[in-house]
Amino acid sequence: MSSSYGDINVSGGIGLDSESAPFNLELARRNSMIERQGMKLPRYLKTGTTICGVVYANGVVLGADTRSTNGDTVADKNCEKIHYIAPNIYCCGAGTAADTEATTNMVASALNMHRYGTNGRTSRVITALTMLKSHLFKYQGNVSAALVLGGFDINGPHLFTVYPHGSSDSLPYATMGSGSLAAMSIFEAGYKENMTKEEAMKLVADAIKSGVFNDLGSGSNVDLCIITKEGKEYLRNYECPNPRPYASQSFSFAKGTTPVLRSTMLTLKDVVVEEGADAMEVGA
Amino acid sequence: MPHAVSTGTTIVAVEYAGGVVIGADSRVSTGTYISNRASDKITPLSDNAFLLRSGSAADTQLVSDYVRHMVHQHESQLQRPIDVPTVANLVMQIGYNNKNALSAAAMLVAGYDAATRQGHVYAVPIGGTMVRQKYAIDGSGSIFIYGYCDSEYKDDMTREEAESFVAEAIALAMSTDGSSGGVVRLVTVNEDGIFRRLHAGDKSVPRFGEEKDVHKDLTDKANAMQT
Amino acid sequence: MSYNGGAVIAMTGKECVAIACDLRLGIQNQTIATDYRKVFRVHDKLFVGLSGLATDMQTLSQRFAFRHNLYKLREERNMKPTTFANLVSHMLYERRFGPYYAEPVIAGLDENNQPYITGMDLIGAMAPASDFVVAGSSSESLFGVCESFWKPDMDAETLFETLGQCILTGVNRDCLAGWGAAIYIITPTGITAKTLKGRQD
Repeated sequence: MSSSYGDINVSGGIGLDSESAPFNLELARRNSMIERQGMKLPRYLKTGTTICGVVYANGVVLGADTRSTNGDTVADKNCEKIHYIAPNIYCCGAGTAADTEATTNMVASALNMHRYGTNGRTSRVITALTMLKSHLFKYQGNVSAALVLGGFDINGPHLFTVYPHGSSDSLPYATMGSGSLAAMSIFEAGYKENMTKEEAMKLVADAIKSGVFNDLGSGSNVDLCIITKEGKEYLRNYECPNPRPYASQSFSFAKGTTPVLRSTMLTLKDVVVEEGADAMEVGA
Repeated sequence: MPHAVSTGTTIVAVEYAGGVVIGADSRVSTGTYISNRASDKITPLSDNAFLLRSGSAADTQLVSDYVRHMVHQHESQLQRPIDVPTVANLVMQIGYNNKNALSAAAMLVAGYDAATRQGHVYAVPIGGTMVRQKYAIDGSGSIFIYGYCDSEYKDDMTREEAESFVAEAIALAMSTDGSSGGVVRLVTVNEDGIFRRLHAGDKSVPRFGEEKDVHKDLTDKANAMQT
Repeated sequence: MSYNGGAVIAMTGKECVAIACDLRLGIQNQTIATDYRKVFRVHDKLFVGLSGLATDMQTLSQRFAFRHNLYKLREERNMKPTTFANLVSHMLYERRFGPYYAEPVIAGLDENNQPYITGMDLIGAMAPASDFVVAGSSSESLFGVCESFWKPDMDAETLFETLGQCILTGVNRDCLAGWGAAIYIITPTGITAKTLKGRQD
């Protein structure tokens, strides 16, 4: 029976262990050994995040805050969480920064290759969704990327949430990340069907600000991305509700303040010195 | 790792005289947070068969994606619509062959075969068993309605009887099970096609026991105060 | 990150960029060396600093040099800082579930001599910055000093003084880092390497 379904193995596995392992696990045993000996694992960069999206009359609006954290420390005050998937598809990412970045990049390049093979036909959101969720399912939640996927294709506007374990929901309005509860409260209070672009942008910006101000893991600025039939509008730092509240003190250190033991000009390696070279002859 | 998304669920499927009625609540939760309050757990697998999903959302979505793919291949190979027992068998095989990976996928398959004029309800619980039943229930809310279903089920119900049997069962489970809630989605499959119905909001979801009395009490009091 | 100790900072100026590291190598509280440099030259306009587990820092710096040499053989040119950053990011993410214990800091000048700096976590999540990037056992205090001392458009000399103060004050309260510091100031015309005097305790 299995042969009649092409490469889907009905009697075998569902691809959990059949594919070649793309991750190198050489150091995993060593790492668990030195961790047992008491060394703390360095923390991954996380995006304790508020991300959300909403479908309106002519398209979708995606929104994100811009804080990236490393434990309790703010590692980046203005990072980008709305990732490119295709010209007509973007994806907000929450969770481990490296995972959201790597996963969305992988799908973006796979779709790019697919467009090369299909006369540049516009990518579909459902294709991106399927690629994302099957990758995440394969790693059983260990690749921790929680995503809000939005786009406009031949079937109109689409909005999906994707969870780290590989499940997805199709929704008219969606939130994700540690600030998702704060953002959802704004959506539940203010969402209407068939909003105008301006109404949708305001609702999304309000939802993100609700996360920025009520969730400790979210902060800094509001990024928006509006995707319609006509194209996308990426509004980086659409709102900046948290400017530096104090003027930067102009510390200036007089020349020689820092005690120097030794100072050398390093020899440049890439400078090619041609001795006795003549001008090249051109033509006859 | 964060909580896995699960459809803490109530799902019900029943065979009646001329087809099947299937129903589900609409709540999806991650831990204590409702991540989707209006989801659709009744997933079409073919033109005439549906999968009712409970347990891990990721696992059951994967199963339905795979089975839909296999149904497509099967139908284009045989050039005729697939029958419901075959669909249920595909679900069972995926569930059985991957029982270690799919440790949280409890599903029901139900549909109506126009060729044989026969409704089918199958339970495909964790582990890959497949049992044909007159009616089947599953999900976290199902434990609250075994008694109700056993006492109210009749062979060869009419469509109306079957629909209210399913709707009442789900509403009853929703009122007691914290992981079930939202709206009641109903699908009836029979000779004439597929009919979707929705019991949304406070008004059309049946209420029971204390809820009913409290509501009535308040209305009575309000009326008494007005007069 | 606190097994061997260490501190690295990269900072931008006007058409210049600088990268600094402390000089201590330790095994927990025992100091092994006081002239251990954590910054490596990729090419004349691109440096990478590493903090974390010393063995992984060495392995990585060797693999970076190897990959850059291969690139030069194939392309007959140097890598752009962004290209190199993406290479590093991929090399780290490849080991997502068994990572190198090292956080790289990349500093360089691009083809228009504009500064480019980026930090990364141990599995390759890039955090490019326009001002400064820090890494190491005392990253919180390094963040603190940089946050108050950095200002835009510094010339090479001001950049050196500022970064010098940042690395020296930043590691002052860190038992696992210090014993002086090394700074590399990268300008379109040349690289100046300076060794700074710091406390020896």
